[in-house]
Amino acid sequence: MNCLSDAEIQAVVDNEASEDARQHAAGCTRCLARTDARREQVAQIVALGDGDLPSTLEARVRQAVASGRPARGSTALRSSAATAWRRPAPWVSALAAAAIVGLIVFAGLPRFGAPTTLSASEILGRSLQTLTSVRGVEQLEYELLFTGFSGPHRIEQLLDHDHPNRFRVADFGPDGVLQSAFSEDSLARRRSHLVRVDGRNYIIELTSAQAPVVSLPQLAQAQVETVIGLMQATADQKLTTIDGPGGKLYVIQIPTMTPVTGGSVVDLYQARVVIDGGDFGIRELEASGTMLKQPYSVSFKLIRRTIRQAAEVAAAEFAMTPGPGDMVLKGDATNDPVFDVLGTVLRELGRLKGD
Amino acid sequence: MTTMAASWMKPLDATLHSGPAAADPEAEVLRLLGDQGSSLYRFCRMTLGGADEADDVVQETFLKLLQHLRAGGDRANLRSWLFTVAANACRDRLRSRRRWLPWRVELDHRTVETAEDTPDRRLALDAARGLPPRDRLLLSLRAQGLSYRDIGIAAGIQEGSVGRLLARAVDRWKRRLEAAQGLRPASRREP
Repeated sequence: MNCLSDAEIQAVVDNEASEDARQHAAGCTRCLARTDARREQVAQIVALGDGDLPSTLEARVRQAVASGRPARGSTALRSSAATAWRRPAPWVSALAAAAIVGLIVFAGLPRFGAPTTLSASEILGRSLQTLTSVRGVEQLEYELLFTGFSGPHRIEQLLDHDHPNRFRVADFGPDGVLQSAFSEDSLARRRSHLVRVDGRNYIIELTSAQAPVVSLPQLAQAQVETVIGLMQATADQKLTTIDGPGGKLYVIQIPTMTPVTGGSVVDLYQARVVIDGGDFGIRELEASGTMLKQPYSVSFKLIRRTIRQAAEVAAAEFAMTPGPGDMVLKGDATNDPVFDVLGTVLRELGRLKGD
Repeated sequence: MTTMAASWMKPLDATLHSGPAAADPEAEVLRLLGDQGSSLYRFCRMTLGGADEADDVVQETFLKLLQHLRAGGDRANLRSWLFTVAANACRDRLRSRRRWLPWRVELDHRTVETAEDTPDRRLALDAARGLPPRDRLLLSLRAQGLSYRDIGIAAGIQEGSVGRLLARAVDRWKRRLEAAQGLRPASRREP
């Protein structure tokens, strides 16, 4: 008999080999050595899975069996197979990304005093209250990952809570290079877009800008409030408390829920949120679900946050300052931001062709 | 020769008998919880890499068993049935996790590592965590002593392919471990 294959050696170790293979392994020096070596590797792997059923889990299962339904903290049984996930349309990605931008934007930090014992729902409720209570100009830096991103993006954001539609958002890609930026200053009636193409920044400056019917932060806030509200309404939240470097953190997770085809405008299938135990601001969040029936998945982590009085912030901070080599295109704004950008670019193209 | 962990070699027909409790679904579930709970928990932890999700899958599995028994389901080889249901739940969660964005490493490790973990064990654990989901599933099933037949059922693969796939999974784990130990350069093809 020829020497054994790796699969046959594995079968010998697993006591699943044929009699011929076992006899060969016992009599062949080379195969015996291979068998011993594999047996040792297998033993190492087996040893990784040690540990007995924790008594708390056993009690939980016993309780669940007695009641016939999951005890607190468990995942509800799925009533049907999950629907297939599809890659979301880019515009949905943008919409959901905007929602997360808003989540950070509106995750304010009013203090409620040190809590004693709070339920997951109460913590979410308090966090929800923070969404609309920030005043002044808030500066944020955070990491954002979204379906379709090749890696974590870093977002820098400035938002004037005292003046609607006054903000600036800059998106740095996984390589640390600025990918795009958007700013709007309702006081100066100015809107700017920056796009990086082939290593060059193109800035589109639009003047006479009117405030859109629904601003990006307003849209995002509505979505974020929905997500937090859905989490709060979920019956089976799991709350754990951990000690972070800056103090206590609440980690709230909702179980996997079965996607329902044709469900609400916004559905949440899974979510995990980390809330600061001191100020109830949201520090981290992972969520997946559907928005307008398109799946999305998003994660963010707050890096830095500061708040200043509006009077302390210069108007120039809401503008986009061109750097060396940047191309600036200027135009007038209308109530259609998409057309504004396209129109300005096409006009510039036409002017160049005409020249 | 290194002594293998007992569970790897243990026969797998522990649930084939029908005792007095068999007529009462709740009593049967609790009996199996006592007999197989630890093994199922180890399997889930090893496959999922975290205690929280393993807790959920274990509870979910025993509740499904209760439903199965109450509905008059087949009682032959319930151990295999338990691992098949748990394996399906783990696979669902692993698939879902792949669609998710990575959670903070320190939070994941917080749920898995213990003070008793030695550096060698941590490297071995990390190497196992880095394996493709199917490899982790197969190794976890075998580590709890399931036969190739039962592994095939639980993992949804042909029984004849189990040995080959297990051998590859062990090889991949070994390569990852050696790379982590600096004994071998990390392969670009390694997942």
